[in-house]
Amino acid sequence: MAAPLRLVKGLRLAAGTPGLVLTRSAFVARKPNYDHPNWFGVGLAFGTTAALWVLLFKHHNEDVMEYERRQKERQHKCTGCS
Amino acid sequence: MLFLPDEARSLPPPPLVNKGSVWLGFAGWTAALLDNGFNHRPVIRAGVHRQILFTTVGWFVGYFLTKHTEYIHAKRDRELFEYVKQHPEDFKATEKKRIGELLEDFHPVR
Repeated sequence: MAAPLRLVKGLRLAAGTPGLVLTRSAFVARKPNYDHPNWFGVGLAFGTTAALWVLLFKHHNEDVMEYERRQKERQHKCTGCS
Repeated sequence: MLFLPDEARSLPPPPLVNKGSVWLGFAGWTAALLDNGFNHRPVIRAGVHRQILFTTVGWFVGYFLTKHTEYIHAKRDRELFEYVKQHPEDFKATEKKRIGELLEDFHPVR
């Protein structure tokens, strides 16, 4: 009973694919293969980067405009309508 | 946004290049380099997209953290100056002593 199980496990390990496993496992660890880059991940990273910078610039510009508007309002209130 | 009240917008916003952003951006970049190191990749040449992403996230968080910090400090300063203004008797400026009055008398022993 033990020998065929071990043979199957050996074959599965060699292939690197779980297939029909006799022991349950949440994942199979694989060595990362850098010959095939994860283009989706790269695209997602660059897309998120661009989105974050755009958001940051927009937010900063809104803040600056709002600050200047309030400064003007304060000037207007203090000096009154001249 | 870190849920800052509306009055925070009356403060000048921090510049895009500010202490918090630079430091957290650098921390993010270092995290990406560490990730490369732990996964046996060339440290600075690999995963440039990851380095840029982590730096950007650090920069982004740093900007809002700096904004929050400046608001908290400004609020504290405003409350402090209000208190000083309302209690002038506790904050009288002391008379400046002249150096001659401070020093002890000189009795030469020759």
